[in-house]
Amino acid sequence: MPLFSFVIRRLLQMIPTVIFILIVTFILVRLLPGDPASAMLGDRARDADVERINRQLGLDQPVVVQFFYFVRRVVTGDLGNSIGLKVSVSSLILQRLPVTLMLTGMSALIALVLAVPLAFIAASKRERLPDSIIRGAFQMGLSMPVFYVGIVLLTVFAAQLKLFPVGGYGDTLGDRLYHLFLPALTLALSFAAVLMRNLRASIIEVMNAEYVDFATAKGLRSRVILFRHILRNALISTVTLFGLQIGTLLGGAVITETVFAVPGAGRLLIDSIYGRDYPVLQGLTIALAVLVSLTFLITDIVQAWLDPRIAR
Amino acid sequence: MKTIARAVFTAALLLGTSLSAFALERGGTLTYGRYADSLFLDPVLNDANVDIWILSNLYDTLLLPTDDGKGVQPGLASEYKLADDGMNLTLTLRDGIRFSDGSPITPADVAWSLKRAAKKDNGIWGFMIESIDDVTTEGDKTILIKLKHPDPAILAALTVFNTAILPQKQFEASPGATDEEKAKAFAEHPIGSGPFVLKSWDRGSSMKLVRNEYYWAKGEDGQPLPYLDGINFELIPDDATRILKLTSGEIDGAEFIPYSRVNELKSSGNLNMELFPSTRVAYITLNVRPQLGGKDNPLSNPKVRQAMNFAVNKEAIIQIVTHGVGKPQTSYMSTATPLHVGDKPLYPYDLDKAKLLMKEAGFEGGFSTSILVLAGNQDEIAASTALQQMWAQIGIKLELQQVDNPTRTQQYRDGTFVMRNAAWTDDIADPNEITSYFVYSKTIDALHTGWKSDEADQLFEASQKEMDPKKRAEQYARMQEIYNAEGPTVPLYETPYPVALSKKVHGFLQIPLGNNIFAKTWKEK
Repeated sequence: MPLFSFVIRRLLQMIPTVIFILIVTFILVRLLPGDPASAMLGDRARDADVERINRQLGLDQPVVVQFFYFVRRVVTGDLGNSIGLKVSVSSLILQRLPVTLMLTGMSALIALVLAVPLAFIAASKRERLPDSIIRGAFQMGLSMPVFYVGIVLLTVFAAQLKLFPVGGYGDTLGDRLYHLFLPALTLALSFAAVLMRNLRASIIEVMNAEYVDFATAKGLRSRVILFRHILRNALISTVTLFGLQIGTLLGGAVITETVFAVPGAGRLLIDSIYGRDYPVLQGLTIALAVLVSLTFLITDIVQAWLDPRIAR
Repeated sequence: MKTIARAVFTAALLLGTSLSAFALERGGTLTYGRYADSLFLDPVLNDANVDIWILSNLYDTLLLPTDDGKGVQPGLASEYKLADDGMNLTLTLRDGIRFSDGSPITPADVAWSLKRAAKKDNGIWGFMIESIDDVTTEGDKTILIKLKHPDPAILAALTVFNTAILPQKQFEASPGATDEEKAKAFAEHPIGSGPFVLKSWDRGSSMKLVRNEYYWAKGEDGQPLPYLDGINFELIPDDATRILKLTSGEIDGAEFIPYSRVNELKSSGNLNMELFPSTRVAYITLNVRPQLGGKDNPLSNPKVRQAMNFAVNKEAIIQIVTHGVGKPQTSYMSTATPLHVGDKPLYPYDLDKAKLLMKEAGFEGGFSTSILVLAGNQDEIAASTALQQMWAQIGIKLELQQVDNPTRTQQYRDGTFVMRNAAWTDDIADPNEITSYFVYSKTIDALHTGWKSDEADQLFEASQKEMDPKKRAEQYARMQEIYNAEGPTVPLYETPYPVALSKKVHGFLQIPLGNNIFAKTWKEK
């Protein structure tokens, strides 16, 4: 059972990571200039109002005391209440994070569907016209800013062709998938470009490996060579990249969610930074940290499955 | 030619009004795109325009602001009488009025709501009704408000959102130990007496309101308002997306249209680009403390401030930032604010005068200074970049410092900022709110600038108790004269509220105080 103990080992390693992130987040949000009361009350706040709110929020206590209370609550699973929205942080996260997960999940899927076959075509037609076209197109996808791609897709496919709704988020699951397609595609384009370039390079490298020559010499059918020998080996580095890029994808979701009016965690994060909403900021960072750590874990498991030597 | 054009316009307007009155249709749901979501729907404890500007659809007040935002009209109270000595106010409730859950609105609810709003340290709006000493009831319709001192603005204050009437029993039955905890629970499912009721709220995404069956006001057809069955507020923070959703017909209206898109939408065939008169003014705040960061502060010299004002080409700024939508300020308060004085733009562009004033102030060679700009805010960046070039003409080197809002607020409140971009809208149909912040040094140090005029302070204190309208107008005229001449701001422009609506939508109103009024809105099928 090397894989099982590998997973357990990696799960245990996550604990110090999350604790570290918890401490850093707690300190960092307090280092930002401006306090929640000022951010909440705005320009018209009088000193007495700001002091009163800070006192109510316990922000007049020493940071160490605040940290103690914070840890005590987190251990019992209580992330506190949002300062601006006056509702519990866990309910906010449960409401908004799944939206972002669905969005990033969809865009990862679209990116894979785009990148894998095209990388094969580009690699097999290396330095010829199809390769140049594919690489050129993806280069464009990579160089355009996400918000611009979003607005272009919205204008063309939603406003003019009316194939999709202009942003927003539906009520049923099917409706939501329909609403999320364009934002997912927006996010997927640059992601697919990164994956495609990496996979193309790996395929070319593996194609030149001796064991592929050997498999060909053995007279194996080309499809067997392609899937069992070339793809499996070429995917290892791409899987690593895929896992690492999920974090970037979550970052991109912040902009995409704003452009497409998707009520996800990315926008909540931005709002909580501007509002100095410490509890939301802390809770969301922890949730995202766990999520990214889990993605890395899954990446490692897939790698171990592709190349059993890794789990040893 | 102008007269003919005006006559044609008036005729068209009259025709349009009479046609719309004739074709009034009830029912349907209006979808309205908002730039930001509400935060907290408690009238007393909220602190932001995203709440304030829609609260009147859920909660009703004893009195209502008039459509021009300058006067007062009956609300839940059908009659009101201020005693001659200005110390007692008697209000009579309408017959048969009810909350949205069907329970009757009693004088006890009114007394409790007003006392809650006036309670010290309960929210940040209590200062507007600080004159209230006690509220008592008489019979089943009468409310008596006893004042600590005569208050010329008390009627206007009773139109402001924080004096909304809530059902005492239902509020107190909400879970929670403190007023704030109860308010949090109550505000999730508010019971008020406004034209609409909150049906559902998906935070960060949408808010659905349905018509309040018990709303008291009647429409043009003699039936109870509102005309609409409901409103769906959709949260669409990105300007371009909000406009795209409107032009593609997915929503019926959108607020906060960027000025750069106003002309384009004006010429759109299926939209009405509305520019509702507002009390919004945009200005630069200058810290005038003699010393800043351990150095002498040139901005403390009134002549320097006047020079800076004369060196700003307001027309150019209005073109650059508002694409011609705004107009120059004629006083620190907007033309829509009661008791505003002034018919000429402040500080007409005059570079020679500006240079002369700089010389007189001893700053012929100019100086270096800085301004706080809200990062990513196109209006502020455009205005500040223009100011940078305009002030360079009189030797002032301006550095733009882009920061986020809480950072700026902290420097502002600490009084350590040098200059900042700012904007203001009134919440009350009275000049006392803006004046208490801009002019009166005891509220927040005159916009945290450290500016102080003993005469203006005394005038303000007197005006807060002055019951003679003529005398009060004179006091305000003098305060405006003082502040406009040597105050700590560079007034830039006033702008209307840009709202775009489908041509099928009628009767929507955003009053100068910002309130979005949907009670008389109706939609063609």
